[in-house]
Amino acid sequence: MVDQIMDVLTYPPIQKAALACILCGASCSLLSVFVVLMKMPLIGVSMSHAAFAGAVMGMLLGFNPFLCGFIMCLLAAGVLGPLSDRTDIAPENVLGIMFSFLMGVAFLGMGILTRTKAGALNLMWGSLLSLSDSDIAVLTVITAILLLFIVIFFKEIRYVLFNRKLALAGGVPERFIYYALLFLTGAVISSNLATVGGLLIFALLVQPGATALQLTYNLRHFFLISVAAGIGACVSGLIVSYVFNLPSGASVVLMATTIFAAAYVFSPKRHRRKKVKECISYEYDKR
Amino acid sequence: MNEHIIELSGVTVRKAKGVLLDGISLNVARNEFVGIIGSNGAGKTTLLNVIAGFERFEGELSLFGKPERWKRSRETRVRVGYIPQLFQIDPAFPILVSEAVMTGAIGRVGLFRSPGRKEKEKAMGLMEMMRVAHLLDRPLGQLSGGERQKVSLARVILQQPDILLMDEPTANLDIAVQKEVLNLINEIHQKENLTVLFVTHDFNMIPAGMKRVVLLNHGKIVFDGDIDVALSGDMLSTLFQYPLETFERDGRRFISYG
Repeated sequence: MVDQIMDVLTYPPIQKAALACILCGASCSLLSVFVVLMKMPLIGVSMSHAAFAGAVMGMLLGFNPFLCGFIMCLLAAGVLGPLSDRTDIAPENVLGIMFSFLMGVAFLGMGILTRTKAGALNLMWGSLLSLSDSDIAVLTVITAILLLFIVIFFKEIRYVLFNRKLALAGGVPERFIYYALLFLTGAVISSNLATVGGLLIFALLVQPGATALQLTYNLRHFFLISVAAGIGACVSGLIVSYVFNLPSGASVVLMATTIFAAAYVFSPKRHRRKKVKECISYEYDKR
Repeated sequence: MNEHIIELSGVTVRKAKGVLLDGISLNVARNEFVGIIGSNGAGKTTLLNVIAGFERFEGELSLFGKPERWKRSRETRVRVGYIPQLFQIDPAFPILVSEAVMTGAIGRVGLFRSPGRKEKEKAMGLMEMMRVAHLLDRPLGQLSGGERQKVSLARVILQQPDILLMDEPTANLDIAVQKEVLNLINEIHQKENLTVLFVTHDFNMIPAGMKRVVLLNHGKIVFDGDIDVALSGDMLSTLFQYPLETFERDGRRFISYG
């Protein structure tokens, strides 16, 4: 089977798909650290649907779908950012409304599309085997920018992840960091519409970070584990889909969930916390 | 006469739910330790938020003799330290005690630079002073409430602020731990030459250094002066609209809740 896979890897379209898988896994899993630690999965899901809706509307109006997806993401970020700072509105309600509105826009666009709907469906599920060179180039540049952002602002990011209000009080440009993250979320999601699509990308925005959360207390290791889990899910999902002739997007998501489940079961952090709790109750009983 | 490093004049904060601060005017001199006391919704936290630069406001605010709005420079922000009420943190969150303390140095060193040996040594000294040095490799989320507040104190002192704003820092802590944290607050007030604004509504846990009290009610200052006058039974009973009595034992003042 290994020979068979190595054989397949000599074909240029498969090599391109494998590279896209690695870039997609890396970019989404880097973002997933923020999504998980800032507890903003709803923002992730809303942004991915904004990208999807924007791309469908772009197809409908004859513009570049990925550019339209990116613009829609930025608009969503412009609404979601200030919204999450307000204390007089329940953000989850507005996110719910926004999420359903964007789905409505996307499906409206798909319903009106007179040409083939295959392109629009590709935006939903992704199409690893039909990626163009420019798709790969855009994905590479955006992943590099995200990585650079994390490396340059690592100490500020740590503070913002820990507590936004304290970071602001401590003289850290927390609004710049937060809005840059929203902007990069839009960029990563829209550039990955072609790889895993607007629906399945949500899994990659949550699961690698959730996996790392089970395994380490060190933020640097957290990023590395998340990236390893993301790339691992994408590459193993692609292999599983090839070997068993299954849809690639679904295989990637299922592999990501399997990796998370394994991390959860064997989590040293969970066992350590359990041990601490047992020690505390033992001390209490002794009294 | 000491210079005023905090000056508020006619500061008002309006929200959809109403006026949270209503034309507050207040001056605080360098090294003063001021208590901010009031019932729920009196505007105590909003007042701290205005001074800390978290909240938009109408009116005039001056810090260190310079007019400020809620948007302000990094240099001004690092001079105003802030300690909130004990907040929840996920026990699995990836931050160690030493890293949480070191965040205090981030604003001061600025972008594109890392805290150096000097900051690390100061952080270690502060952790020892706060008696949390033995916990430096522990995840912050696994500490008790009192330990986390001591880490907060070490973090904020590493920031080297001139003003320290504390929003009920001893709330939700055990009595013995409250006392220990209050003693540490007194110690850093004296050692670091800080101007402290301390929000509380537990009159039996007042730091010894607090000599002046501002009483707030419905967003307005109803009293500003000596702590002995402010914490009299009559004054507090009127403020909280509940019969309260004060009595002294062994030179300490206690409030009885009737």
